[in-house]
Order: sequence, then structure tokens, then C-alpha cells
Amino acid sequence: MQSSFKNIVILLSFVWITSSCEKEIDITVDPSNPVVVVEASINQFSATLNYVFITSSIDYFKPDLTLGGIKGAQVFIYEGVISGKDTLYPEYNKFQMFSVGETPFIDSLLPVVNGIYYNPYFAGKENTCYLLDITLPNGKKITGKTQIPKVVPITKVYYEIKGNPNKDGKRDALMSFSFIDPADQNNYRIALKKGGDSLAIGWGNADTYRTFDDALVNDVERTYPFAGGFKETDTVNLYFSTIGRTEYLFWQSFGSANNSGNPFSTPAVLKSNITGATGSFTGYGVSFKQIIFK
Amino acid sequence: MQKLLYLFVYLASILYLAPLAQAQQTKFTISGYVKDASNGETLIGATVKVKETNQGAAANEYGFFNITLPQGNYILIFSYLGFDPQEVPIILNKNITINTKLTAHSVQTGEVVVTSDRTDRNVKSTEMSRLEISGEQLKQLPVVMGEPDVLKAITLLPGIKSGGEASTGFYVRGGGPDQNLVLMDEGVIYNPSHLLGFLSVFNSDAVRNVEIIKGGMPANYGGRLSSILNVSLKEGNNQKYSYTGGVGTIASRFAAEGPIVKGKSSFMVAGRRTYIDALVKPFIADSLRSNGYYFYDFNLKTNYILSDKDRLFFSGYIGRDIFSFTSPRNKDISFNISWGNTMASVRWNHIFSGKLFANLSLVYNRYDLNNEFTFGLGDFKAKFIASSGIRDVTAKYDLQHTVSSKHLFKYGGQYTLHTFVPGIANGNLGSAQINQEIDRQYANEYAIYFLDEWKINHRLTLNAGLRYVAFNQIGPYTKYEFDESNLKTGVSQSWKTLESISFYHGLEPRLAATYLLSEESSLKASFTQTYQFLNLATTSGAAFPADLWIPSSKIVKPQQAFQYAVGYYRNFSSNEYEASVEAYYKPMYNQVEFKPGTQLFFNQNLESAVISGQGLSYGLEFFFKKKFGRTTGWIGYTWSRTTRQFDELNNGNAFFYRYDRTHDMSFVLSHQLNKKWNFNFVFVFGTGNAVTLPTGRMPFRVGYDLQTNEPKFVFIDLYDKINSYRLPSYHRADVSFTYMHKKTEKWESSWNFSIYNIYNRANPFFVYFVPDIEKQEVKAYMVYLFPILPAVAWNFKF
Repeated sequence: MQSSFKNIVILLSFVWITSSCEKEIDITVDPSNPVVVVEASINQFSATLNYVFITSSIDYFKPDLTLGGIKGAQVFIYEGVISGKDTLYPEYNKFQMFSVGETPFIDSLLPVVNGIYYNPYFAGKENTCYLLDITLPNGKKITGKTQIPKVVPITKVYYEIKGNPNKDGKRDALMSFSFIDPADQNNYRIALKKGGDSLAIGWGNADTYRTFDDALVNDVERTYPFAGGFKETDTVNLYFSTIGRTEYLFWQSFGSANNSGNPFSTPAVLKSNITGATGSFTGYGVSFKQIIFK
Repeated sequence: MQKLLYLFVYLASILYLAPLAQAQQTKFTISGYVKDASNGETLIGATVKVKETNQGAAANEYGFFNITLPQGNYILIFSYLGFDPQEVPIILNKNITINTKLTAHSVQTGEVVVTSDRTDRNVKSTEMSRLEISGEQLKQLPVVMGEPDVLKAITLLPGIKSGGEASTGFYVRGGGPDQNLVLMDEGVIYNPSHLLGFLSVFNSDAVRNVEIIKGGMPANYGGRLSSILNVSLKEGNNQKYSYTGGVGTIASRFAAEGPIVKGKSSFMVAGRRTYIDALVKPFIADSLRSNGYYFYDFNLKTNYILSDKDRLFFSGYIGRDIFSFTSPRNKDISFNISWGNTMASVRWNHIFSGKLFANLSLVYNRYDLNNEFTFGLGDFKAKFIASSGIRDVTAKYDLQHTVSSKHLFKYGGQYTLHTFVPGIANGNLGSAQINQEIDRQYANEYAIYFLDEWKINHRLTLNAGLRYVAFNQIGPYTKYEFDESNLKTGVSQSWKTLESISFYHGLEPRLAATYLLSEESSLKASFTQTYQFLNLATTSGAAFPADLWIPSSKIVKPQQAFQYAVGYYRNFSSNEYEASVEAYYKPMYNQVEFKPGTQLFFNQNLESAVISGQGLSYGLEFFFKKKFGRTTGWIGYTWSRTTRQFDELNNGNAFFYRYDRTHDMSFVLSHQLNKKWNFNFVFVFGTGNAVTLPTGRMPFRVGYDLQTNEPKFVFIDLYDKINSYRLPSYHRADVSFTYMHKKTEKWESSWNFSIYNIYNRANPFFVYFVPDIEKQEVKAYMVYLFPILPAVAWNFKF
């Protein structure tokens, strides 16, 4: 009797645990008016991480491969010059970003993704401000400002290979790295790419992202640990970047918005740092390390 | 000031003139306790009726009653639901005390239970929008996984809506879950759920009585806008030792009670623990076996009869939910999250005279959330402990004073010291130490009240009350100024210990009236004004452990609500059937929301994320109940509409509250098939929740994968109107059968077999979308939690 009761209990528990189900349903939602979206990125480390991506939002229920990229825009990035307490953006420091797919020279360097603007001659500088100036084909103006903050170097990288081999014969690896947080307020963004290739084209090619500031730990050497996810013989490309505060707020809100699939969360709103569109103009002060777990 | 003067004149006229008017005829008072003969437990709400005059009174929350009558001979009829009525003849020529013991109906006799509580309290009292469920009734209802639950049960009543299947959050007449004051023996329970909302913290073996007031709140209650849920624990059997328990599908419970000194003092201890962790482990992958989740709770109550006039109660509760994870491959990676409530209360009942009953309560309660994360390697481990919570110390004094046969006064006061702990973070990241705490906040909350239940004549009774409330945020506290990017500007303002930071106060008039149309029908009306000084910050519809309470402050204004209600009450067939229709209109002001995407955890500038708006709820509630006989049950139906409006949201336009339900219906049936088998049936229906769905997509974080030659990006969802889409309606039917083994003198047990969702309705829990860019389409999937779900539970008592 006791044994059969136990079996019943176990069976019923199992049924419950595994009983959460789903089914396909029909939903019709009216599309919202399209908005212009801009993601502009500059840095001092890699030319292929300097680009401006201009798109138009698309109907949620009709996604397509063109991604709503907007071609034909006039896109310029101005490098700032300090003049007293002001930052000026003179014409002589102007770089035009060219539309990939419309400029033969650029097309030979990059694959075609509509709405991407790029200039291989543009190189960002540490501690420098930049102005983004976009004129859309319909004449609409979009502007934004950012700076590439001073780079905070990765001082140490530690990894350890532990435990017994997995089914693929490789053991798990853990990694952390250290840096010295400067005294002033700092904001950081990490992009981590596994595999032999570095982030050749675009931040979106990374596997893991983190955004944090120094509110909890300031002005000391600190460690940033990763809670697993690596294996013996993996190659990891670590991009540790300083970013500005408004850019930090954008990427933090981006993290929340990217998690809006959580059924209990309130839809998050992106904290845009450009005017005339939704999005971000982010300058990255990149410190880079490649680690091979061997 | 003028209002206070009027109040003084009113009180003086009643206190001094009423006795003069009544002096012509000598009157005496009968008082005492109504108790269960089997265990000495007092019976809350038991009624006392004078056979000759039809006058009546009800026992208060401590089982105490009093009634004033002219000198003479009378027969008093004591009755309580499920107990045999008892007639007591009295010769009234002086004030007398009667402690009456009622005997429960016995279902083992084979006799059909046909008589029971013939009370007409629902028609004649001024209470409206008030409902009660006893601990025994609670156990009769079929529930998911066979575990009886207080909060699941009350959502079967009209005007009280469930947050969903995985939620014990409840929504009363358009109010949010934080607008319900949940009390366990007068201690506040800030988070009433276990298992992330699947079950409440109330162990059914420890519960004696559940009372919910959803409107027409009398002046002796306050602190929240929408409702009071008052859960009374068993006092303990003061006659003999007894043990009850149950083995359910996911948890087991056990309670012991008995006399400390027979007839004088007793104790009750009850505990419950889930074993869902142990049951699931054999079936899950090795990599997940290091995950653990369990909850437990523990109740303790003792009471002492110090003298005929003094009783002392001690109640305690501690409950925790604990989730832990340790990497199966590396013990250096682990995290533990625990959260739960702790409560202790001491209450002293004192009878000054048959006319004056007093209770003094001292309560300590707290809610804590603790997170502990450990990860890293070698000497570079990171360990991070974060906690938050709220702690209260409360002193409360209530008096119940029968001034005359026409006037029952209730007056008293309450003081609470709130301590808010927004966040403490300790630990290390490698060699860097973390030792930070967001400034604690302190506040004093005061309330004094007076109410008069005035029987103007046989037909008209008025319950007029006034509650004065005040909230004072005090130091020590340092308020930092933040810039637009959420960084400290360096400017701050500090307050010393006990120095006032912000002060809010106000009067809450309460008025309820009953007009008897006949002995079996009445019209009722009520007006209630309430303030609320505590706000729950949560990003979740369910009561997730991220809950954080914040006080009213210089920036966050107190919430305020008005509620107007009218109702018609009608009993039939000697009160065997009762029916009511109530309409309510409830505007709410200074409703609190947080800016979308606000980070709640360890946010020093949380107040600046608060946005303030208005709410409105109105509706019509129908209730029909059969109270006794072989077949009992009820049908409740509510039509309602609830909206919110915030200038910063939805372009300033009003939108449906997430738990707005146009139609909400419940049908509960209990039928005694024979002396061994009992059958229960529940059907519920509700309009689907209002949800916000994405209307567009914004591509972001672009990249190009050189290995696949494909662009990489993520879509960020774009939202338009808030809560403009309705999930499919919610409905289901449940059945349960209870088999009672033959009762012996020392042992009784029963099996409860239940089937939840008998027709396997797929009720929406949430929807999500999967885009297929190749086909240029998006598929929508609805996740539902519980298909048809059988459960069995074994309950015992010895």
C-alpha cells in the first residue's frame, strides 16, 4: 500500500512538472507607425567596428530579410576639437560614411547589408568627442553625440580547466579577468566572441554581452568573472570597452528591452541618446585579449 | 477642526443623554464567549439572538459577544455555521456572563445535515462587501494538486479576481495586489505566496477563519486601499491533545494542538514543507540535479486564560522559499535565493465589564529577500550577498464598547514603525571588497478611529466612523540628488534621527447604512475613503521575490481611494438561501507605477522612476448562496471595468488594467452523497487578461558572421498601446470527492480525490511569438500551465 501510494505521488508530480503546454493561436494586432532606428558605433581599435546602421522598424507580424534598411542617406561623423570649455565639430574633421551596396569601393570590402554605412578610413581616438549627422532621403535630420572614453586596459586574465571531461571529451573552463577601475565614474561594456575569428564585422557577431558600471566597486582593481560556458581548447576573444554614461543607459535599457519576451515583465523602452530617431551612437574605448584554454 | 467639534458634540450627546433616556427602564448586559465544545476554540462571528425580541449580536474576532436588554426573562439562541444551535434561558436582573459551548453537527450519524446557521446577519448587519470562509469549508474545495489554499478559495467569491494559475496575487474591485492588507493574527504578511505564486503561505491545518472585506471597510480597519484579508489561526484545543495532517501531491503538513493546562491554556503548532525537489530529481537530467527548490512554513500559537476577564495570545509564523543552484561540474559556481515572511504577535484581551471589551496587540513582522551568488576560480572568487526587505513594529489598542442597546462604539489607535531596507550588498569581486547599503528609510504610521454602530430603529442601522491616519517619514536619512543619467550630483540633504522628512495625514470618513425592507431583505449603502502609504515596486504580475516596498515620501504621494457601494440583500426559506446584488464605483488617485524598464534591484534613485496616475473601477456583483442542507454552494457573477491613466504612459490615455475582467463568474457546489462520500464541483469563467503585445520590430546590434555569410542582429520589440489586446477567456471546471473512513473515538481520516480542469481547457498563462523570417510570418503560441490534472491527498486527525 505504502509503495503504491508513493508511486502514485511520484507519477502525479511528474505529470504536473511536465504538463506545462503550449498551442498555436491566431493573433491579429494592428501594426504601429514605422520609426527610424539608428545604431552607430565607433572605436579606436578596429575599423570594422565603426559603422552606422539605419533602418526603419518593421511590422511585427511581417518580418523580412531586408531588415528595413534605409539606403540613400547622407551620413557624416565629425571628430570634435576642444576649444576652451566647448567642443567644436569643424568641417575639416568630417568623415562621410558610405552606404554598403551603393558604393563599389566599399562593396569590395564588406558584404551587402542594406542600411549599413561605413568608411574604412575613419579611425576613432581615445578621449575624443564625436558628432553624428544624418540626413535621410526624405530630408529628415538625425543627430547624436558620443565620445570614445579613455581605454581601461585588461590587466590580467585567469582561466582554469576543471572537472571530468564532458561527452565531447573536453573539460569545462572558467575564466575571469581583472582591470583597475579609475577614480572617476566609469561605465563598461563587454563583448565576448568564442571561436578563432575575432569580431571582424559588427558588434552583433559576439556571443555574450555585459553592461555594468562602477557603482558597487570604484577606484580599485577588480575582477570580472564569467560563470562558465567555456570548454577546454576554446578560443575566446574578449572586448572590454569603456563607454559614456548615456550610452551605458542605452545599453542597459537595451538589455531590458531584449528581455521583453519575459511574460511577466513590463515592456521596456529604449533610452535613446540620439535625436530624430530611436537608437544609440556609442563610442567604445576597446581593450582586447584573445585567450585559448589549453 | 469643525469636524472634530461636531464629533465631540455627537459623542457627548450619546454618552450622557442616551443613558438618561434609558434610565426609565433598567437594563442589564449579557456578555461572554461562544466556544466549540470539542476543543474550547472561540467561534468568530457566532450569533446570539433573543427569541422574544429578535434582537441579536455577533461574536467578535475573539469570540466575545455582548447584548443589552431590559430586565426580564429571555431565551437566547446561540448559533454558528456547522454547529447545533443552543437555546439558553436566562433571568436577567443583573449583568451576567455566559460562556456557551456549541457542539458540531456529526455527519457520522448518517443523518442528513439540514439545520445549521440560520443567521440573517448578512441582511441585518451594516456590513457589506464582507465574506467569510472557515478553515473547514476551505478544505472542502477542489484545488490544484490537492492542496487547500486560502487565497485560491477567496478568488471564487464575487469581486475578487485571481491573477492567474501561477499566482496567489488577488485583485479586489480593481485594486492591485499591494492594495490588499493581508493579516495573520493581526500581523502583516507582505508576500503571501509560496512556490512563486502557486500556493499561499497559509497552512490550512492552522487556519481557523478567513474574513475578507472588499468594500464598506469599517473605521477600525485601514492601511490599504482595496481590501483586508484577515486570517485567524486556530487557538489550540484546550481539552485534549489532537493531531491533524495531510499528505498531498506536492507538500505535506502536520499540526499538533492540546492543552498546556486543561481548560486554561492551549497551544497549536503546524508545519508544512514541499517535497517537489525530492520528487522531481529522479526524472531530471543529471546537469540539473543540483538545482533545488523547496518551501516550508511553521506556525505556533498559544493562548492563556489568565482570569475570567483576561486572555493572552501569542502567535508566530516563519516561512521561507529557498532556491539553490550549484554547478554540477564546479562547486565554485552557486547561488542561493531565499525569501519569506516572519511574524510574531502578542495580544491581550481584557474585559473591563460586560459592556467594554479591549484588545492590545504588539506585533513584529518582516519580509526578507536574500541573494547569495558565488562564482569564479582559485583566488579570484567573487561572492556577492544582497538583501532587501521591510520590518514593522506595531502597537494596537482596540476597544468595543456597548454604550446602550442602540449604540455600539468601537474606538482605538494604532502605531507602526516601518523600517525599509532597500538594499544591502556585501562581498568581494576578487580583491575588491563590496560593502554598500542604500540608506534605510524609516516611517511612523499612526491611526486613531471611532465608529458607532447605531440602531436608529428596528429598520435602520447606521455604522458611522471616522479614521484619522498620518504617515511621517523620519530620519536618519540622506537624500542624494541624481542627474538625468542616474549619477549622484554631489548634492544631498540629510535628516537626523527622528527628524521629519515628509508628513501626510488625512481623515477617512466611513459610512454604512442598512435599511430593513422586511425581516428577510434589506437595502445597504456605504462610503469609504482610504489612504495607503506603502507602495510595492515590482516588475511582475506575479508576486515574484523581487518585490520591494517603498514608502510615501516627498516625491511619492500617498495613494487614495473612494468607494461608493449600494446593495440589495435578500434571504429565502428561513435563511437557507441568501442573495445579494452590489454595485460599486471606486476612483483611485496617486496610483504608483514605475517607468518602463526601471531597474528595481539596488537602485539608489528608485523614487525618481515612480510615476503617478489615476485608476477607476466600477462594477456590479451578484451572489446567490445555499447555506445548508445536503447540497450547498454559491454562484457569483461580476461585471466590472477597471482602468488606469498615467500622463507618461500610453500617450496619457487611459488603458485597461491588466486584470480588468469584464465578466467574472464562479460556481461552487458541495453535495453530501452519503455518510462516507462528499462531492464538490467548481466552475470559473473570466474574461481574458488585458496584455500589451508588440506591434513592430527594430533591428539592432548588427554584425556579419563570416563563417555563415549571414547578417546577425536582434530584434527589439516596439510597443504601441498598453493592454489593448485580450488573452482568450479563462474557464475551467474542477471536481473532487472526499471519502471519509469510519470515524473511531481516536482516529479519523479521509481521502480527497480531485481532478483539476476536467475538460482540459487550455487557459492562457502567457503568449509568445516565434518569427520565421524565411516565410515572412510570425507564429503565436499560448502557454498554458495545467491541463487535466488529477491529485490525491490523504488527511488525518487523531
